[in-house]
Amino acid sequence: MPDHLSTTLAALADPTRRAILARLSAGQATVTELAAPFSMSMPAVSRHLKVLEHAGLITRGREAQWRPCRITAAPLKDVADWVAHYRKFWMDSFDRLDDYLRDVQKKGKKHGHGKPHGK
Amino acid sequence: MATGNLMASSEQELVLTRVFDAPRKLVFKAWTDPKCVAVWWGPHRFTNPVCELDARPGGAIRIHMRDPTGIVYPMTGIFQEVIEPERIVFTSAALDDKGNPMFEVLTTVTFSEQGGKTKQIMRARVIKMTPQAAPYIAGMEQGWTESLERLAAFVATQAKE
Repeated sequence: MPDHLSTTLAALADPTRRAILARLSAGQATVTELAAPFSMSMPAVSRHLKVLEHAGLITRGREAQWRPCRITAAPLKDVADWVAHYRKFWMDSFDRLDDYLRDVQKKGKKHGHGKPHGK
Repeated sequence: MATGNLMASSEQELVLTRVFDAPRKLVFKAWTDPKCVAVWWGPHRFTNPVCELDARPGGAIRIHMRDPTGIVYPMTGIFQEVIEPERIVFTSAALDDKGNPMFEVLTTVTFSEQGGKTKQIMRARVIKMTPQAAPYIAGMEQGWTESLERLAAFVATQAKE
């Protein structure tokens, strides 16, 4: 699992930041544009942007006045991968548990204990 | 576990339901006897060279899972509830290469009888994670609103760009 995954998860663990990302997925935007839908001060929005930038989820332009924000896909992919891995971990494990339970019951029957009407 | 370094983070849950053609008592044993767990824990073709479980409240879990190429993934945990044969609750943490927990997951597994079979419902949610980002998100108290899967769907569409 990638080392920075917790940073990404932490950055995503906030509805405002997810809303900002959702907005940016439609295209780049300035801080003023991003602040508009939220009843939030510019400094508060800036703080959220810093968290997102630190997590590598967005990049900000260098143009002094504009500094438009853009979404960066790579860390989001790590999260998607982790969720998929975690799900797969359990699905695979339960397949194996299923096999194991089958085997154990078969053995139980062979040895004459376990289910009452074994062969 | 260095839980003091972790922080509360999420409300989302992964829920997986499965019916096993086996009596409940046997399924419960498969989850609580380390010898049994070592056989099935982990993805296909993985092995568990270390598999220790002390299945009682407060009891420790230590599993070292090894993938087919030999890479070992250590994991630790603690049983919160063990109610034979119907319910197990445990926390677990995947460890990074320095042995620090990356995030902590609370897993609840319930077993119910269903005509000689056993219906198992597993609920897992991330309860804490290690925050390199802690200073940036101090005071964060809002839980996640999306489920893991909805988040995954969202990020999957973003990741394509």
